[in-house]
Amino acid sequence: MTNHWIDLKNSDCILIMGSNAAENHPISFKWVMRAKEKGATLIHIDPRFTRTSAKADIYAPIRSGTDIAFLGGLIKYILDNKLYFKEYVVNYTNASFIVNRKFKFKDGVFSGFDPKTRKYDKSYWKFELDKNGNPKKDPTLRHSRCVFQLLKKHYRRYTIDRVAEVTGMPKEDILKVYKIYASTGKPDKSATIMYAMGWTQHTVGVQNIRAMAIVQLLLGNIGVAGGGVNALRGESNVQGSTDHCLLYHILPGYLKTPKASQPTLADYNKKYTPICHDPKSANWWHNYPKYSASFIKAMYMDADLEEAYHWLPKLDDGQNASFLVIFDEMLKGKYKGFFSWGQNPAAGLANSNKARKALSQLDWMVVVNIFDNETASFWKGPGMDPEKIKTEVFFLPCAVSVEKEGSVTNSGRWMQWRYAARKPMVDCKPDGDIICELFEKIRHLYKTEGGAYPAPILNLSFEQWINEKKQYDPHKIAKLINGYFLKDVTIKGKTYKAGTLVPSFAYLQADGSTCSGNWLYCGSYTEKGNMAARRSKAQTKEQAKIGLFPNWSWCWPVNRRILYNRASVDLKGRPYAPQKPVIQWDGSKWIGDVPDGGWKPGAKYAFIMRKYGYGQIYGPGRADGPFPEYYEPLECPIKHHPFSKQLHNPLSIIFKDDMEGLVSCSAKYPIVCSTYRVTEHWQTGVMTRWQPWLLEAEPQLFVEMDPILAKKKGIKNGELVIVENERGQLKAVAIVTSRLRPFKVMGKTVHEVGIPWHYGWVYPKNGGDAANILTPSVGDPNTSIPETKAFMVNVRKI
Amino acid sequence: MKLGRREFLKLSTAASAVAAFGGLSFDLSPTIAKANQLQIDWAKESTSVCCYCAVGCGLIVHTAKDGSGRIINVEGDPDHPINEGALCAKGAAIYQLAENKNRILKPLYRAPGSKHWEEKSWDWMLDRIARKIKEVRDETFIRYNSKGQEVNRCEGLASVGSAAMDNEECWIYQAMLRSLGLVAIEHQARI
Amino acid sequence: MEGKTFFIDLTRCTACRGCQIACKQWHKLPAEKTYNWGSHQNPKDLSYITYKLVRMEEVVDKNGHIKDWLFFPEQCRHCVEPPCKMAADDYDEKAILHDEATGSVIFTERTKKLPFDEIKDACPYNIPRQDPKTGMISKCDMCIDRVQNGLLPACVQTCPTGAMNFGDRDEMIKLAKKRLAEVKKTYPKAILGDVDDVRVIYLFQEEPEKYYQFAVASLEQKNLLTRKELLANVFSPLANLKL
Repeated sequence: MTNHWIDLKNSDCILIMGSNAAENHPISFKWVMRAKEKGATLIHIDPRFTRTSAKADIYAPIRSGTDIAFLGGLIKYILDNKLYFKEYVVNYTNASFIVNRKFKFKDGVFSGFDPKTRKYDKSYWKFELDKNGNPKKDPTLRHSRCVFQLLKKHYRRYTIDRVAEVTGMPKEDILKVYKIYASTGKPDKSATIMYAMGWTQHTVGVQNIRAMAIVQLLLGNIGVAGGGVNALRGESNVQGSTDHCLLYHILPGYLKTPKASQPTLADYNKKYTPICHDPKSANWWHNYPKYSASFIKAMYMDADLEEAYHWLPKLDDGQNASFLVIFDEMLKGKYKGFFSWGQNPAAGLANSNKARKALSQLDWMVVVNIFDNETASFWKGPGMDPEKIKTEVFFLPCAVSVEKEGSVTNSGRWMQWRYAARKPMVDCKPDGDIICELFEKIRHLYKTEGGAYPAPILNLSFEQWINEKKQYDPHKIAKLINGYFLKDVTIKGKTYKAGTLVPSFAYLQADGSTCSGNWLYCGSYTEKGNMAARRSKAQTKEQAKIGLFPNWSWCWPVNRRILYNRASVDLKGRPYAPQKPVIQWDGSKWIGDVPDGGWKPGAKYAFIMRKYGYGQIYGPGRADGPFPEYYEPLECPIKHHPFSKQLHNPLSIIFKDDMEGLVSCSAKYPIVCSTYRVTEHWQTGVMTRWQPWLLEAEPQLFVEMDPILAKKKGIKNGELVIVENERGQLKAVAIVTSRLRPFKVMGKTVHEVGIPWHYGWVYPKNGGDAANILTPSVGDPNTSIPETKAFMVNVRKI
Repeated sequence: MKLGRREFLKLSTAASAVAAFGGLSFDLSPTIAKANQLQIDWAKESTSVCCYCAVGCGLIVHTAKDGSGRIINVEGDPDHPINEGALCAKGAAIYQLAENKNRILKPLYRAPGSKHWEEKSWDWMLDRIARKIKEVRDETFIRYNSKGQEVNRCEGLASVGSAAMDNEECWIYQAMLRSLGLVAIEHQARI
Repeated sequence: MEGKTFFIDLTRCTACRGCQIACKQWHKLPAEKTYNWGSHQNPKDLSYITYKLVRMEEVVDKNGHIKDWLFFPEQCRHCVEPPCKMAADDYDEKAILHDEATGSVIFTERTKKLPFDEIKDACPYNIPRQDPKTGMISKCDMCIDRVQNGLLPACVQTCPTGAMNFGDRDEMIKLAKKRLAEVKKTYPKAILGDVDDVRVIYLFQEEPEKYYQFAVASLEQKNLLTRKELLANVFSPLANLKL
């Protein structure tokens, strides 16, 4: 989230799309309802009328996977009716930038496309630069190749008629939503978007969010109270686990994983440190070498920086080691050993039957979890013959959250400390203890026996993780993540002794004299103490107005509660919305939130993390185009759509083997299907299915369908039916409900059904199996996130 | 018959008490037996944060001081600025996540081709896992790729997980995996 | 008027079912064995181990389009003059207690000797449920232990949106009337249920009967009879028995 949960109350218009917040983030509705009671309009756009829709002022149905059509139409509406916030657009977005002549768009494809590799040459999309290497700009926004004009041109095709035709949303609903949402382009109004996996789990997932970001930039809704682009993250620490980069392509703090073509630290830093010649651009990532050096020193405190850089594993250039790829390679026998640590991919990953078969190709697997699950017990699952499965499985029982101490980071980036209420039950252990004990044993083996390239193991600063009793120490690790001065360092006349905790990332050094496990968390555990454990609700008058709570826990970066907040004020530092100011310049200093850099008003461009300092309406860094373009999901009900001849995202990630079962536009599977969650369960249900109270409330897999489809299929409410496609089959209880309705799409009737993904064969008996048995292993080209929110099935009576 | 508060309490004390803790045992009689002395009054109070979605609701966890260390109650932290004491169905059930007879309480091992789990000690498990890791790492570690570029990575190991771990755990987990040379490191954020 | 009262603002309820579970959690009530019966409402009904249940009803317009999804967190109304107690007192005055300070109506274990059908029939809201094994009758106890110790009932404490409120009766009635006036703009049919008679006052956004057949004591009867007459009517079999 650019903003945070409490800030929702400051909004004038809340759009919930790609999310079912009332069910999946129920406490968000404390703040949504407060906004509503102050007069905000609540809009829910979803294929299904949910508990969120029940509280909305406007509910508009949409066929799954057609969001870009709807959002493209909104962009067009804002531009056609001149409802954008012009001063903001000119000063804070790249709308005025001139794009080079090679940028073209034709038949649904951007210039630079290579059909053989299915990749774009992004040099076709570059900005035209002046002699200093800065993008040329036209602040009048009239130049035919300025971003603003290109945007207008691109979305000219997104007429209300076409939007209605493809989304299945009634025209009057479309217009009603456009009108209300676009009315927040006024300087003192704000609108916010609450989205979740309903937007990310598509082959156009990133572009869904890009489209909304463009809307928010046009309306001046980023950086302000009650605005922003808010991803509602679904797990208690998925923000933290992302920040610490348990991901193949990034290292903690969103540093890049080194590549084979970067043999030295200097090569690596050069590649990822952007250079901007415009002195007004803060270009914050120019600090990259400080953060990479500090990370390496947190891993290897006593080592030489360059040597330790070599110890980091390198990806081959262009290598994709993402989730779907790992399981595809696992199926082909690449991996011998596998850790499924606090996760249940045999139910949670798209195309679960493929995932389950892949597990059987392993020599061994370590599972760390609280309860038995489909991954741990895959070898005795449906269709498996245990005697033929050689995979050795180690199940390590871990503590539950209330049995351990440490921090978690919520969706609003608040790092919150929690305490152990008791010791773990019986023989369970906190994950941290398991990691430390296991690593100690591995290290011992390498120390005593040697082995392949032992240096990275033997030199790891393991002693920084444990206390004097040699046990996992969350405080020590939190300090390591914050970072220490490793030598006496003098900064701005003040000397920091070696061993002192670094007060903030502005003090990190590129020469190895500081360490910080994650620069974004620098400032979270300082000489002033454990900032994440703070419980003071003290706030200044201005802070209280918008509910910032700066002294409760701690928030990255540098306790800034609302990101991009320099865009909430004009060039003189005056808030656009004086009734709900995020920051303001009082003549000598900023008051309110921690500003995006302390420079005087107008001294630097507002978007400090961007190379040129501007919010990106035009995004030339994305794999699949600088503007979001409409494509159908890879499995879809129609052969043509009205925006171009290009049916699907030409860059979608697909795999070729006999387990993919991709079938589109087929009479055999004519029904659109989506997956989702309910309040009473969580993710694959491992932590909730075993709980009697939650199981009582939602005991079984169900499939929700509209009454017309049910009648056509002869299905009665409450009866057990089959949902199937080429990838598999599920038995589910039919919930026949008017909360779903058929869509009129390109002149034909399209039905949509939905299933929750909380269930699995392990428990409860007759609870149903994983919804992901039906979802395809295809992915977004930017993120490789699978398209589990729109695919095709059939439903029939048993 | 109308009862004053004093008489009411006296009467209600005669009604039998609900189990102070212990999961699913229950007694139908009303809880008024404890009307003047709540079970949570003699409990240790800790603050925590809900383990489900990323709203980050504050919790108060009550743990028995009777030596059992059992959790007897979990509810929303009224001081917490985000949830102000509120919890949804899942959050309100966290007591049952901890005090749950379905939890796996001992390390379990499944041998190749076996139809069953068997209980093993932590030491046995971790020794064997460490040995397995070393075997695969030593066998599949490559210093250079096919182009001759230095890559120093372990090809035969992969990991997924976990957004369910604390920040400190996530950080040391990535550090351990990267020291082993893994690049196939993923978790829930990707799916 | 003295004592405590709940005010349940249904315009704010999202059916997160925090209250349903928090009730089970505080009382350590076991789960029922349920199945999906074509609805998200589960358990299907109140029971001797389910004191609080969120009922869910869909409202469809004449085109078959969904118009509203109504949520009704149901519980004992803790009647100001509880008919269940009046019925019970004829058998055992200590079986059902009426706490003077709070107004809470408490079923004790002595309810197992009461004739269940009479107690159930006495209730205009169809609340009491019986344990088939022990014969004890049970229902919401207002979390009397919490309330007497200055805490909110578990269901109120856990409610995210302000649907569940609890406090001194006059304050709750004031709040209910204030909210009614506010929501009338959005929901012209909004109405408060049985304000004078119960300690659990619902603010309905639609006609109460759309939520549940026992959402309010019968409107028809109420128009015809005074409260006293109504109660006499409800208890007529019992009255006859006594004669």
